[in-house]
Amino acid sequence: MTVTVPILRQGSALIASIQEDLCDSDILNLQSRILEDVIRYRANAVIVDVSAIGILDSFGTKTLIEIAHSVKLRGAKMIIVGIQPDVAISMVLLGLTLKDIPTALDLDHGLALIGET
Amino acid sequence: MREVISSSLSDSEGKPEFDQDLVDAMRWFDLSDHDRALTSELGDIADDVGERIIEAFYTHLLADETASRHFRDDAHIAQVKKGQMRYFRELINADLDSSYIADRRRIGSIHERTGVTPTLYIGAYAFYLNKLANVVLDRMEDDPAKAFSMVLSLFKIAHFDMALALETYADTREEAIKARERELSELPTPVLQLRPGLLLIPVVGTLDSYRARALTIQLLEGIQEHRARAVVLDITGVAAVDSAVANHLIQTMAAARLMGAQPVLTGLSAEVAQSLVKVGVTAEALSTAGDLQRGIELAEHLLGE
Amino acid sequence: MQVPAPLDAMVQAIRRDADVISARQMGRALAEDLGFSRPDQALVATAISELARNIVVYADHGEIELTTLQQGDRQGIRIIARDHGPGIADLERALCDGFSTGNSLGLGLPGTRRIMDEFDIRSPPGEGVTIIAVKWQLR
Ligand SMILES: Nc1ncnc2c1ncn2[C@@H]1O[C@H](COP(=O)(O)OP(=O)(O)OP(=O)(O)O)[C@@H](O)[C@H]1O
Ligand SMILES: [Mg+2]
Repeated sequence: MTVTVPILRQGSALIASIQEDLCDSDILNLQSRILEDVIRYRANAVIVDVSAIGILDSFGTKTLIEIAHSVKLRGAKMIIVGIQPDVAISMVLLGLTLKDIPTALDLDHGLALIGET
Repeated sequence: MREVISSSLSDSEGKPEFDQDLVDAMRWFDLSDHDRALTSELGDIADDVGERIIEAFYTHLLADETASRHFRDDAHIAQVKKGQMRYFRELINADLDSSYIADRRRIGSIHERTGVTPTLYIGAYAFYLNKLANVVLDRMEDDPAKAFSMVLSLFKIAHFDMALALETYADTREEAIKARERELSELPTPVLQLRPGLLLIPVVGTLDSYRARALTIQLLEGIQEHRARAVVLDITGVAAVDSAVANHLIQTMAAARLMGAQPVLTGLSAEVAQSLVKVGVTAEALSTAGDLQRGIELAEHLLGE
Repeated sequence: MQVPAPLDAMVQAIRRDADVISARQMGRALAEDLGFSRPDQALVATAISELARNIVVYADHGEIELTTLQQGDRQGIRIIARDHGPGIADLERALCDGFSTGNSLGLGLPGTRRIMDEFDIRSPPGEGVTIIAVKWQLR
């Protein structure tokens, strides 16, 4: 069963809201669709909303970091919003960081952060 | 010994039927129906002198200032005396069944809660046994052998009693200590909203690993609840920060950052700063400020104001 | 080496990456049933996710077995990750932060060791990898 994450447009930003636990191939699929959409819509920002996700393991985090870097290479910036308290704790204990990717509490804060309110 | 006794009692309440554990416990104390039969014969003597012994005991007890503090007033003393009469009467001739045991165990936990120490309890017991034994030997001058075996049987039951009470005493004490520790470590750390988007968390006291975990969760949930974008963690009031606690604080701040809040750590003493360096923290990785005032300014700056 | 499965164990075969999700959801559900705190539920699920993914990526297939443990008045969850793949020649190196032959972050094994209370890894030559990790409930 594959899950296709909806990617919405708001102004010049793209919003990808992950609704459920994604398996690895779904995440890879999301990665290529975000990159395509950034080019197609000349987006200057991407918000990935992970508030519905129960865990972010090393593979998920690594892929998010990769997505952020490719988005950056295409001249846009990416932020991650909605990391839940227990997810944040597990990530930190596992040793995962998001490097320099900006984060925000939720979609509202994320939109404010990129100036789309 | 602990197993024998406590297992015999775990489900003894309200279960008067045959009870293997009870049998085992009695065997440990070498208690038999014969002992019970012997001590029952002491009933008359005990009834006769019981009250006098207890009176003497209270005179003895109330002369001691610390001990006398246990009692609110005369009515209280009278009530406790009555309980004691009953207690000793049961010692002489109550059936040694499950309900007897349950009752004896209850005594231990009552003592723990009301501050009757083992010394006081065993002392009172010894006082009673001593006096009673003397009277028994006196009155049964014509059959000292029998008197002696009666007294021995009584001592067996008394020891059985004390073991039961002390087992619960210790258990209750252990529970009380655990509960107190839990209370202390759950002492909530206040999460204060200085103004919209800015939280201050003043941590006071000792941070053991249990409380540190609770702190992390409070902080992260506080960020969510208050929709905070910056949080100042002030550790001026933390007694000791070893490297484990330092590490934990760093992890908490990293988690706050993942949730989109800018963390600022303030109130670091020289030692704490050193602990942080030991766990590999660099100044760039962490926003810190010397004191609370500057910490708040820094947080406001991070908020872009 | 085949460890006999205790009666109350749950086993999830790991062949595809969808099985990784099933295994970690099973783990979270168990942790929730046992009354683990929310963060600990996430930790158990994360550990399972890491171990199961390693099986898919490096050993092709294997299994995750979950067992409830009882010690005194507290309960624990034991995760056994087992495969018969190529195994790990240098365990010490595999447990170092950042070591990866798969061009990944190299945090799966060392991270799992950090977040679990007990961790044991074995890889006798020719027998794949068996990892046993336990998380105890906090009282
Ligand atoms: N089940 C396994 N069978 C064979 N080799 C394994 C197995 N699990 C791990 N390894 C080896 O150990 C290395 C470290 O594993 P670890 O999970 O820590 O990192 P990773 O999988 O490379 O990256 P990450 O888990 O962070 O995405 C792997 O790169 C791989 O070489
Ligand atoms: Mg891995």
